[in-house]
Amino acid sequence: MLKYLFNFIIFPGFLFTAAVGLVASWIDRKVTARIQWRVGPPWYQPLADLVKLSIKEIMIPRDSYKPAFLISPLIGLSAVILASTFVWLPNLELAKTGFTGDIIVIIYLLTLPAIAIILGASASGNPLASLGVSREIKLILAYELPFIICLLVPIIKSNGLLRLGELVVYQRMNGSFISSPSGILAILVAIFCMQAKLGLVPFDVSEAETEIMAGTHIEYSGILLAVLKLTRFMMMVVVPVFLTTVFWGGFSVWKYVVLLVIIILMRNTNPRLRIDQAVRFFWGKMAAIAVIAVLLSVLGE
Amino acid sequence: MRILLEPILIAILAGCAIFLIPKRFRRVTETFSLITSLYLFIAAIRIFVHPAIENRLFYLDGLSRLIVLAIGFFGVVVSLYSMRFMSSCKRFRSYYAYLVWTIGFSMLAAVSNNMILLLASWGFLGFTLFMLINVESPAAASISKKTFIIIGSSDALMLMGFAMLWLITGSLTLSGTRISIDNPLAFWSFLLIAIGAFAKAGAMPFHTWIPDTAKEAPIPVTAFLPASLDKLLGIYLLARLVLGLFILNKFSYALLMVIGAVTIVAAVMMALIQHDFKKLLGYHAVSQVGYMVLGIGTGNVMGIAGGLFHMLNHAIYKSCLFLSGGNVEYKTKTSELDSLGGLAKVMPLTFFTTLIASFAISGVPPFNGFFSKWMIYQGLIEKGRSGGVLWIFCIVAAMFGSALTLASFIKLIHAIFLGKAKGESRATSRRSRDEAPWSMWLPAMILAVLCIIFGIFAYVVPLKGLIMPALPSGLKFIGIWPSLKAALFLLIGLGVGFLIYLAGNFKGMRETSPYIGGEQLSKDMRLSGIEFYRTIEEMPFIKGLYLKAEGKLFDIYEQGKKLVFFFIRILQYLHNGVLPTYLVWCLLGMVVILFSIVR
Repeated sequence: MLKYLFNFIIFPGFLFTAAVGLVASWIDRKVTARIQWRVGPPWYQPLADLVKLSIKEIMIPRDSYKPAFLISPLIGLSAVILASTFVWLPNLELAKTGFTGDIIVIIYLLTLPAIAIILGASASGNPLASLGVSREIKLILAYELPFIICLLVPIIKSNGLLRLGELVVYQRMNGSFISSPSGILAILVAIFCMQAKLGLVPFDVSEAETEIMAGTHIEYSGILLAVLKLTRFMMMVVVPVFLTTVFWGGFSVWKYVVLLVIIILMRNTNPRLRIDQAVRFFWGKMAAIAVIAVLLSVLGE
Repeated sequence: MRILLEPILIAILAGCAIFLIPKRFRRVTETFSLITSLYLFIAAIRIFVHPAIENRLFYLDGLSRLIVLAIGFFGVVVSLYSMRFMSSCKRFRSYYAYLVWTIGFSMLAAVSNNMILLLASWGFLGFTLFMLINVESPAAASISKKTFIIIGSSDALMLMGFAMLWLITGSLTLSGTRISIDNPLAFWSFLLIAIGAFAKAGAMPFHTWIPDTAKEAPIPVTAFLPASLDKLLGIYLLARLVLGLFILNKFSYALLMVIGAVTIVAAVMMALIQHDFKKLLGYHAVSQVGYMVLGIGTGNVMGIAGGLFHMLNHAIYKSCLFLSGGNVEYKTKTSELDSLGGLAKVMPLTFFTTLIASFAISGVPPFNGFFSKWMIYQGLIEKGRSGGVLWIFCIVAAMFGSALTLASFIKLIHAIFLGKAKGESRATSRRSRDEAPWSMWLPAMILAVLCIIFGIFAYVVPLKGLIMPALPSGLKFIGIWPSLKAALFLLIGLGVGFLIYLAGNFKGMRETSPYIGGEQLSKDMRLSGIEFYRTIEEMPFIKGLYLKAEGKLFDIYEQGKKLVFFFIRILQYLHNGVLPTYLVWCLLGMVVILFSIVR
């Protein structure tokens, strides 16, 4: 139990993932700055931002339902910590950890931060936040369909392995799934879904600062916003690591950096989609590619 | 034997006695029926701990024990709730009498081992359902007729199925025989009996009575029958068919799985666009049946256990949702999502129960709905190990259906509890707390707490105590979702977040008006939630489907009506009321008879 507690809070759960998340966020900002011919912030900037937020005053809208407004950032954070523990552990200790079906649990846990922010934004009583909620939930519906389909590819290819640790071992023995056509298609879809899960351009419709002024986040300030940001940073670690574990034979630093660079490039070179375009994109093209990937994997490709 | 007969007889007698209590003594009637249901619950507990029984009339094993216990429990919950909710009902005596009879006959159906007994109690339940739906308002009359026709005709098909079964086995006893379904007569018998189960539980395409009933019937009735008892009985019968009576072949398992998967997605898509929360919940009561049928259709122990567990969980959270919705309706006198809003502050307890039950039904870990869905997914993947592609379609439908469920509950919660209320509506005028009376929030709270307990202690409490004894062979978990540990860690995570909060500047916390670009927030600036999925509704292909569904193309009752009226029109043409025509027909008939005699 004590070991799990350590795993959960310090390594690789909360503190470690948060630290990596801060670094990832810095890399994101630095690369973005370089693309835009700016210098970019120093390495400690994300942490400095969080500290700054913690001393800022907290404003709560008058019409809000305060309990839900205050607690929902915590729900998101808690879920992402648990998800990160589940994702990291099989990479570190292989088949010893995890349980059958943890992959399903992780899929659900990774949706929880979005649900939490939806709850908090709904409770804020701001119509723009409601608009953000409406977009966010539609985005969840949009990306969840291809995401589920493409995650079936590894399960089918490994003949029904449902445990992250076993999937990693299987890939070490038989080569990672990404080396097969179906695996490539699946991870392609998964990367787009990841971008939407992280709420980054071109799928940042629920925040869309130039349209609805940060939408779901509009009423959050001070430490509440800091927790939301921290959750986001951690998601930026957990989701790519999850993808490398499932499709790419387990975590390694360079694989993570590759995925991170893809995320950053995608977000810097694309305009924001409208929500209906995003839904059509995921339910149309992406779902079709995912289905093809599944069919290929059934055929053993 | 006596332990089974006694509660059923007492339920019948108590129902008759309620009609004898003079109408003036409303309180007496209410208390009497509450005491009766409490007695029945205690009797159900006694039946639950009783050793197995098997004779010509009754059959008691793990599965029927579980069902009887659940029936008794929901009986008490709904009786308690009705005391206040039905206090304005004029025909309260018939309401309580039918309620008590329903409990008794449901128990009888769950323990009967004789075809005739089962059919009789099943048929009587259809009748009490019919009476309960239109107990309050005449507006429900057409709906109760529709329900009665769907349930009644499926009962007739079921009767036919049992008759075929009798032809095969030559005995009226249900236990002790297992028939292979490869024989066509056996297959049809299975199919027809399964139709009875489907109509009761509300699987597609026999589901259309449920959303309509949910909209028109009094909420305790919906919470009691379509949401919990009918599911329990329908799935019970299906499980009996699959586990006991028949040995299914590949095709029939596949059929069950397809019905399950289609039910999940189609019903939840309809729920997404509803504007009335009772109807929205009604469509979910259909959609969730899909999971149970899908779980049972996998045919492996994990899937069947998941299906049964989901049946139990569904009864808990769906009746919790209906009862919470009843609280809202009781206070605001409306069930239109658009005219509600901002009730979280007014009714915090109802908000809490709704939130928990919504999370449970959407399969958010660590609540109970997640656990049973997780088991069903595992059952599906286990099925997938033996090849085939059908399971892939089913698992995608099930998991995506869960996301859609979540979406429609976000809409519900936003519209009723969190979003702003409409300008001058009743709900906004009250700023202070105005919770429903205790006899209404308490039943919902009990159910919400059960959602949490069944989720967190899933393995120790419901699975070990209720589900596993109901299955013939022991259920083996290779590895298990450590729900208790995970819940504990989620709590610790909340604590970690709270510690971070402590670093924040809460002293400088102040209230501001919502920021909408510097504009003043006016009363009509609101997003209720009913427009959330307009973009999805308007999408090409989907729009067409919705239009067809609204045109009742998928409603078996409406289509059946069309068919019947087509034949009626032919008959009408013949029955034109002109005497000479009838005489000509008589003459023709006589000629035919004469001809056949002479020949």
